[in-house]
Amino acid sequence: MIQRIDVHEVLQRQVSGVYADLVTRPTGRAVREEIERTIAGVEARVTVIDFTHVGCVDYSCADEIVAKLLRDARVILLLRGINDGHREAIEHVVKSAGLAVVLEGPDGALDVLGSPDAATQLLDQLVALQLAARTPGGGFFLTAA
Amino acid sequence: MTRLVEVPTSFDDRSFDQFAGAFAQAADGERLLFDAHAAEWASPYGLVSLLAAGQAAARRGGEKPLLTAPTSGDVLGYWARAGFFREAGELFEIHGKVPRTKPLEESDVLLDVTPVRAAEDVHQVVSRIQERASAILAAKLGLDPKATMGFAMALSEACQNIVEHAGTGGWVAVQSYHWRRRLGRQVVVIAVADAGVGFRHSLEPTQSKRFGDRWGDAAALEAALIQGTSRFRDPGRGQGLAGIRRYLSRWDGKISIRSGTARIAIVPKWDDDVPMREGLPPFPGAQVLIIIPEQGTATP
Repeated sequence: MIQRIDVHEVLQRQVSGVYADLVTRPTGRAVREEIERTIAGVEARVTVIDFTHVGCVDYSCADEIVAKLLRDARVILLLRGINDGHREAIEHVVKSAGLAVVLEGPDGALDVLGSPDAATQLLDQLVALQLAARTPGGGFFLTAA
Repeated sequence: MTRLVEVPTSFDDRSFDQFAGAFAQAADGERLLFDAHAAEWASPYGLVSLLAAGQAAARRGGEKPLLTAPTSGDVLGYWARAGFFREAGELFEIHGKVPRTKPLEESDVLLDVTPVRAAEDVHQVVSRIQERASAILAAKLGLDPKATMGFAMALSEACQNIVEHAGTGGWVAVQSYHWRRRLGRQVVVIAVADAGVGFRHSLEPTQSKRFGDRWGDAAALEAALIQGTSRFRDPGRGQGLAGIRRYLSRWDGKISIRSGTARIAIVPKWDDDVPMREGLPPFPGAQVLIIIPEQGTATP
């Protein structure tokens, strides 16, 4: 089973209905804590964290949300709706922490951000768990529904 | 007795040390008169630093400091449009005629002088800047439109230093202008200042032993900006300034941070600043300057 969490909706509940940006540590902490509670309440193998309607993501929030969720993850996290700006902050914090995270592009193709060793390990794990498969071109896509 | 602290006629990061020198001579409880009557120009750095000085003077006790407003109508008008007097009114007893000017919608003031006290303020700053900055960064500086989000990130992290480390509030201002004298190009400048505890005090509990005899303002700035250390033991901390550096290296930008008696800078080729300056007149808190220049022919 795949669980989907809309980060923008979480942000609206935790901070204010006005802001669309994931900035500052306290905001990141509040958003992560709600995501953790949501994950704990459902038995899922993969949790999709959807950033589609999120504006700016700063380094503090990227670390507080993505890096910390990855460190403590009991499920596999997959990020969706990531634009170039989000990617910059997330890639930096994930790599600095020696971690890796899977991104799903608009076409369903999977990409991995983070330290090379952790990224290879993560893709192998997804394939072994039959959550992802390799395309003829060498890419990866999600097989789990 | 009232001590005079002269505001330099051209008040920016370069003339700041002259201002800090006069400020440092004041004794506790002594009333200060900040004299800006002859001011001809002030950068966003000058304006937010002047507010920080007012904040520090108020904390020293005694009567509210005095501020003589600029006599030049143009200068006065700009300071008002930049939102300086709205904040200064709470800190200083202002002498001189202050115009009631609203910040202009169509001006190069991207973000008027804005107080930063809590995370909520950072949200507001980031939200306000994005729409205006996008047009300026792309049209005037020739940055990729995608760079706007990085700019907002850099601004957010610079403001968060106040919230997380200063122990008091501070101010931020963002402006675009043509920097004829020093660069001959358009620039966008972010200035952030507070009169809080400063980098040395903030990092002392976790970093001073590591530096031993070298520990001081310069070592603290080096630890924060170059080594990315933080006062928090959480492994993900200290990434904010590193993130700003990454963004600036891509766009040939500059950052300088002054705290206590030292100032550190990441100096691009177009600037003649020095990477570290020590033994400066003491000034409380931290004053951060970020400059992003118009892009030349070189691809970033």
